[in-house]
Amino acid sequence: MHQCRLILWNIVLVYENINDSTKSLSLCLRLFYRYRDLAPQLVPLDYRGRPAVTLPYGLIASMPELKDNPFRQRIAEVFSERGDGNMTLDDFLDMFSVLSEMAPRDLKAYYAFKIYDFNNDDYICKSDLEKTVNKLTRNELTPEEVSLACDKVIYEADVDNDGKLSLEDFQHMILRAPDFLSTFHIRI
Amino acid sequence: KHVNLFTGTSNSCNSDEDVGEEKAESHDPEQIFQNIQYQKEIMSNIRCRPWPMRQKLRALRQAKEIVLRYEGRLTRTRGYQAAGAELWRKFIRLAYNFVVIFIPWEMRIKKIESHFGSGVASYFIFLRWLFGINIVLTIMTGAFVVLPELLAGAPFGSTVSKTIPKEHLSSAQDLDTIWSLGGYLQYSVLFYGYYGRDRKIGKAGYRLPLAYFLVGMAVFAYSFIILLKKMAKNSRMSLASASDENYTFCWRLFCAWDYLIGNPEAAESKAAAIVNSIREAILEEQEKKKSKNLAVTISLRIIANILVLLSLAGSIYIIYFVVDRSQRLERTKKELTLWEKNEVSVVVSLITMIAPSAFELVAALEMYHPRTTLRFQLARVLVLYLGNLYSLIIALLDKVDSMSVTASNSTSSLATKTLSKDDNLTVPNVQMERNGFVTSEEHRTQGLAVSDSLVNQTISFSTQNPQDQCWETYVGQEMLKLSIIDMIFTVASILLIDFFRGLCVRYLSDCWCWDLESKFPEYGEFKIAENVLHLVYNQGMIWMGAFFSPCLPAFNVLKLIGLMYLRSWAVLTCNVPHQQVFRASRSNNFYLAMLLFMLFLCMLPTIFAIARYKPSLSCGPFSGQEKIYDIVSETIQNDFPTWFNTVITYISSPVVVLPALLLLFMLIYYLQSIARSLKFTNNQLRMKIQTERTEDKKKVVQMAVGKLVTFINLDSSCTNFCFLARIQNLDANDKRPEQETDIISQESSVRSSTPRKNGSVLNFESPVSKGTRIQTISQSVPQTVPATDVARPVNATPTAATSLTPAPSVSSAQKPRNDHITNRYPSVVHRSASELCKTKPYTPVTFKKHTEDVHSDPLFRKAIRQVNSDNLGAGAPVFLGCRPYATRYFLVNEKESRKKSLRSASRLQRHFRKEEPGDIIELYPRHIRRYVVRTPHQLYSPHPSEDEEDEEELEREFMNRSHRPRSLSDLRPAPRFYIGERADGHVLMSKDLARVHYKSWDDGFELDLDRPPYAYKKVHLNHPEPRVKPKSKQKLEQSLTESDSISIESSSDPQNSSNDQYIQVIHSKDKYPKAGTKPTKKKSKNSVDLSMSEPGELVCSNV
Repeated sequence: MHQCRLILWNIVLVYENINDSTKSLSLCLRLFYRYRDLAPQLVPLDYRGRPAVTLPYGLIASMPELKDNPFRQRIAEVFSERGDGNMTLDDFLDMFSVLSEMAPRDLKAYYAFKIYDFNNDDYICKSDLEKTVNKLTRNELTPEEVSLACDKVIYEADVDNDGKLSLEDFQHMILRAPDFLSTFHIRI
Repeated sequence: KHVNLFTGTSNSCNSDEDVGEEKAESHDPEQIFQNIQYQKEIMSNIRCRPWPMRQKLRALRQAKEIVLRYEGRLTRTRGYQAAGAELWRKFIRLAYNFVVIFIPWEMRIKKIESHFGSGVASYFIFLRWLFGINIVLTIMTGAFVVLPELLAGAPFGSTVSKTIPKEHLSSAQDLDTIWSLGGYLQYSVLFYGYYGRDRKIGKAGYRLPLAYFLVGMAVFAYSFIILLKKMAKNSRMSLASASDENYTFCWRLFCAWDYLIGNPEAAESKAAAIVNSIREAILEEQEKKKSKNLAVTISLRIIANILVLLSLAGSIYIIYFVVDRSQRLERTKKELTLWEKNEVSVVVSLITMIAPSAFELVAALEMYHPRTTLRFQLARVLVLYLGNLYSLIIALLDKVDSMSVTASNSTSSLATKTLSKDDNLTVPNVQMERNGFVTSEEHRTQGLAVSDSLVNQTISFSTQNPQDQCWETYVGQEMLKLSIIDMIFTVASILLIDFFRGLCVRYLSDCWCWDLESKFPEYGEFKIAENVLHLVYNQGMIWMGAFFSPCLPAFNVLKLIGLMYLRSWAVLTCNVPHQQVFRASRSNNFYLAMLLFMLFLCMLPTIFAIARYKPSLSCGPFSGQEKIYDIVSETIQNDFPTWFNTVITYISSPVVVLPALLLLFMLIYYLQSIARSLKFTNNQLRMKIQTERTEDKKKVVQMAVGKLVTFINLDSSCTNFCFLARIQNLDANDKRPEQETDIISQESSVRSSTPRKNGSVLNFESPVSKGTRIQTISQSVPQTVPATDVARPVNATPTAATSLTPAPSVSSAQKPRNDHITNRYPSVVHRSASELCKTKPYTPVTFKKHTEDVHSDPLFRKAIRQVNSDNLGAGAPVFLGCRPYATRYFLVNEKESRKKSLRSASRLQRHFRKEEPGDIIELYPRHIRRYVVRTPHQLYSPHPSEDEEDEEELEREFMNRSHRPRSLSDLRPAPRFYIGERADGHVLMSKDLARVHYKSWDDGFELDLDRPPYAYKKVHLNHPEPRVKPKSKQKLEQSLTESDSISIESSSDPQNSSNDQYIQVIHSKDKYPKAGTKPTKKKSKNSVDLSMSEPGELVCSNV
């Protein structure tokens, strides 16, 4: 174990600089072990050569932290480099560093925007909102209610009246939410 | 700020690298330093950038390398400093990690948080915070009061107040005595009565009584300070949310999911809660419009409120009744049962447990909005708790009141008649002996008779009586008892209501006739709000009793620890989260506000008791004093130097106190008014931001609309507008000395650059909308060449002259100017030269052309009119019917109106308007003239006559003007630029733009705006044929080659492209007049040219 710690050390040191915070080192190690635990046969302990290991979405989504999250697929897609939900260690670290408590809120808001932007067109349009509502409520609302809610959302947050929410609109809205920072993070 | 970052990030890595390499080349220390700074900046804020991890790593490594490489070159010491700082940071981090281990229950709370979300966790965090406060309180009382008393005070049994009365000694260890906090417990450090009255104890002379008093006050002071501090911190954190912006739905949607939830049941209930909250919001939204059946709801609510008030009054009465009854029982019965002893606390706890549920039932009647229901519920429960505590404390103080009266009576009688020792103990005396405070009642009822009986007291009685009459101990006992019973009830309720119910539901539901889990009993909910209120209530009890029972905080610490474990266990095993989302996020001050309220209200009775009642004579540290707080003044008098005493007396005299109070009030008022004004300005600023933002958006929308209109019409004017903007841009590129144009160009460039943010489409809009107006004017002018005077007196004459003046003058004027141009503008030489060669041989032709142009004006006009009619719709008929003058006026007017409507262009318009007499106006006519006359010379020919100034001046002017026209012609490319961009999203549009312009003119000639797109091409093909002339060969060739080069260069070389287009334009115009004269030549080249331009044209026409 000590050996692999040493091997990891290099990576960890770098990551530590990235997530310049008090707990990042242990967090990195923990994340690495979590990542490895998902598929011990796939992920090597020696990461010096930066092996191109990619875990499929199914494994990522089976993590207890994510498996009850209605947006787990979006989260995986947003953070995976190719957008298909399959994650490398880098992506994995990325995901949990953004979702950690220490991440700056603008960064969080940016990624939240990406997560809610289902069709990746850099705008949250009505169809995105409808998907969001349906995922949140597990399709319990009637289509009329959903559509009404979406209209209201756009009405409230769309500052430039283009019928969809841009990143600026979204950030302006979400950063004023009292609960956003406390709820948009995953503890691991 | 971030958006910019994001946009820059896609290629940031490479660009960073480039920058790094680039800078690495330079050896200028300043640059190196800057580079290092830059890289350091990257390193410091890299985690704020939304790049993928790999990219971050790469950027970071690069930045580090560069910094390492070059920083050493600059300073070594700085590197050491940095290393030191790094080390220090790591140490801090380690220390922090170490400290985190000692944060109590951190893991437990996180676990709960990750199961049930932050709402439930907030209860535990609050609980932990209270625990922290109680720890501090315990330390304060323990270190300064309890420990000194234990270590240095008189030992147990040494004094009267520290010994158990003989009669009680036998029962002192009985369970029920202990249970009711009598016996050994009563005579221990737990309560006030045990503490000795010696002013100084131990060898060091510790002033225990003073310490007792000061600590008692410090408990309150500390609680207040810590609460206020926390509240201030929280409100600072939640400042952003304090704004009154309305994002109900947004927040309900985007902040609804608690990403911490990692438990299927919690997820399910969260989803249900979200459904509820969205439905609620929708209902609320709909209810804003309609109000249904008010009468029923109002009456129901009134009934509900009456019920609640009744239950509140009932609970208060019951408590008072119970206290009263217990007193009566104690008076009449010798042996009290366990129930009778604990009646009061049990009843109070029962009420606190049952009443909230009753309130909840009642609240169902009211049919409020759930959130309002919750608030009402909380308010009622809080009132209930307060009512309970107050009725209890009032009943106790009532007793205390009578006790102190008895005490004074008994002591006085004792003083007078100590010697009379009779052994005849009457029954009432025995009673009095047992329960000292009961005597008061008898005193009252029996009056003097009792005092007679008191005279007959035995010595033993007289020694014991004061002990029993220690009212402070009594109050402390009651509070501690209440706290204990409350704890027992909490535990019981958790076990019964949560645990056993959960067990039953889980294991009996299989063999039950209905679904226990989802129907009636269900699982217990964790009601955050109620539980928090219970904590607040509990803490209130502690504050109330802390002065009389110094160990109460210590007991509370134990209680909170137990509660923490029990609750967390219960929550994790047998609770489901509350369906009702209670949004008490950590930044919410709701709990704290309640706690502060409680603290204040709980402090009042204690303070009142301290200020109002005389301390017990025979027990406690303050015995023998008139008031408890006399200890302070006594200490100051006896133990401080006299000067200090005098100072204190001065300070405490009304002369000082009153002004000080006044000053305080003034200060408060002043600060408050400042706060209010700041709030006001804050609001105003926010409003301003809001309005500005909305205006911006409106502008964009309007611009978009304007663009649409112009595009639909896609006429020559439209394209021409673009020129203007473009010209200005080009001018800016040329960096000509002229200020006016520079300003314009700057403006235009600003205009054109700002919208780019919003994407190519918007980008396109602004120049167009700008241009529309300008163009219309310029076009109107050509139609009305003779009429220019009317609109612009200054320019009109020259124009008219140009068009009408004979050829010789024109030619003469042209030559020198052109020469000048060539001389002064080497950059323009190319073009000017070509022009020159064209123009010189031309001149006679042009003149002819000129006349032809004049003739052909009607054609133009038609085209323009059509265009305009297309543009303006209703305005068109006027146009057609009117004379040229009218047209122009109309256009001008239109411009004005547009000004009003289009905010975006307002600034530019204003600019134009202002300068109408000067530069810009000149521009237009020239532009027009050029069209009319086809050659630059003609444009400028009027100048000499017009200005009649020195040659130099003229020349200069000419240069400017000539330059401008060129730039005007350059403008034509500009329109293409935009159009091309819009259509294709491509960059290299200068050529296309020129084409568009060209084409548009052609359109104008042909009057076939309505043709299908492909028609244009044909038009062009047709046109060139007739247009061809001998002179134009050269130009055409040039244009061809140049256009090619331009297409390659695109916008990189504006001047060159401008030249080219200028030529092209001229060429086209030349063609037109000559169309009739020489239809045969140059077909091939023209056709080639046109074919080349086809794609662009097609695109444009599609537009």
